[in-house]
Amino acid sequence: MILEFMRDDHRACDHLYTEAENALADKKIDEAKTLFDQFYRATNHHFDMEERELFITFEKRTGMMGGPTQMMRYEHQQLRAQLESMLKALTEGKYDDFFGIGESFMIMLQQHNMKEEQMLYPMIDRALADDAEIMIQTLKEMPQ
Amino acid sequence: MFEGLSLDQAPPLSVVMRFFLTVPVFGLFLSLLMIFAPHDVLTLSHPLSLASIHLLFLGIISMGMLGALFQMQSVLGGKPIPQPQGSSLIIHTLFTLGTLSLVCAFAFGISELFIVAGVFLGSAIVYFAQILLPLLFGSITHDTLKGMRLAVIALLLTATLGIVMATSYASGVFGEYHALIRTTHYSLGLIGWIAMLIVHVAFQVVEMFYVTTPYSAWCKHNVGRILVGVLALKVLWLFLNLPFPWVTDMIVISLLLGFVVTTMKRLQMRKRRVSDVSIWFWRGGIALLGIALMSYTGYVLSDYASLETVSLIAFALFALSIILGMMGKIVPFLVWFHLSSSGFMDTPIMSNIIPQKRSKILFWLFSTTVIFALLAPFYTNILILCGLTSTAMFALLLFNLIAAKRLYHHTLRHGTKFSFEN
Repeated sequence: MILEFMRDDHRACDHLYTEAENALADKKIDEAKTLFDQFYRATNHHFDMEERELFITFEKRTGMMGGPTQMMRYEHQQLRAQLESMLKALTEGKYDDFFGIGESFMIMLQQHNMKEEQMLYPMIDRALADDAEIMIQTLKEMPQ
Repeated sequence: MFEGLSLDQAPPLSVVMRFFLTVPVFGLFLSLLMIFAPHDVLTLSHPLSLASIHLLFLGIISMGMLGALFQMQSVLGGKPIPQPQGSSLIIHTLFTLGTLSLVCAFAFGISELFIVAGVFLGSAIVYFAQILLPLLFGSITHDTLKGMRLAVIALLLTATLGIVMATSYASGVFGEYHALIRTTHYSLGLIGWIAMLIVHVAFQVVEMFYVTTPYSAWCKHNVGRILVGVLALKVLWLFLNLPFPWVTDMIVISLLLGFVVTTMKRLQMRKRRVSDVSIWFWRGGIALLGIALMSYTGYVLSDYASLETVSLIAFALFALSIILGMMGKIVPFLVWFHLSSSGFMDTPIMSNIIPQKRSKILFWLFSTTVIFALLAPFYTNILILCGLTSTAMFALLLFNLIAAKRLYHHTLRHGTKFSFEN
């Protein structure tokens, strides 16, 4: 179902972030940059899956245009801005700033994920019902 | 069907801060009692001992937990607390006045104050529960939310029994069930309110923020039910005056020891290896829970009263450790979040709101306080040293919180806001 598929993707992103953070803490700068790049692309891809397919389908099914999905889009904007700040800090070698921004990013991201996993995805699963499998296939085929 | 996805990422800063700022103030009161009356504080059922216990469990631990619940409800509960500023002001005022009245009633033997305390504390908790419980029983449900429900219900029952006991203290008439009511009162408070909430919050926080392997789904789903069942059994056991009343305690201890071992394992094996002070507080807190459980087992086996005192102190410090760790995250996050959401370009990053160096000093002061507190039941005068280190600890906590609040207001007044014209 959507919940399991998207939750696994959240965990995969978390894993990439921790790998990048761990590498930077170990002063493996090049490795940290490569891993962060993977995380950056994976997270943006996750947001794209939601914004371009999942939320739009959900809104069409339920008629809820300005509700929870709109709020999630707003939070994606905030998270994307932080991702950019982290990328900038990493590129400019401001590693303390990277960890500092990463701390608030991680709290915000996890709160965001909690809301989606505990509230929004179950709603989407109910709204899509038998079409959930087709949606998962569509999401899997989306280019990164 | 779609009722109640919270649009709030966080409540206003003042909602949570008023509870958190009160914690170190009550902490300083408690420290003074430890410094100036160590023997009375450690004498079972002495009025100053009861005053200290209620300062600790109401003024410090429950005050911190109520503040944290205002933050957690908006994220975990799916629905924000309506009019959070007004509600938190009322609850905080009533709870603070109630705690002060109760502590003064015990400390100065003023019987009328027990009634005042009962009214204030009862009103605060009933008002809090009537706001929170309907939100927690909405269409959205998950294991942490279920644990929060049970914890708030246990708090309500603890308060009810507390009020019954307050009327006994006020009138000086203690019925034949007084001892049973007292045991039920603290069992519900310690296990039903404090342990229940922390265990269920850990299920969410440890797993997600430190990126650990998930807790067992069965445990997350059933631990609350088992705790409720065992607490109900304990009350029934006590009222029927059945032999070996410690049997139910041993079930709770086994369950919580399982929590200690699995949480320690998860924190040890966490994927996110970057260490911050909040992890130290979590680890310290969980270790203290382990000490509390082992000491209580030792007390049941040996009947050595000091071990029971160690157990109670370690349990309180377990809760305090988790609260200090959570505060260290919640306060900088709220300051950062509200400033950055308002578009301030010079919003400080979290690690500059409460600097890591000060957080580390707080942890070391806490650790020193823990060592002295755990030795105090065996060497009473050590409680004076404990009072001195806890004075330093609570003073630093107060300073950290005030500094964070001042930084927030300073940026609000003088910060540069993003605009398309910049």
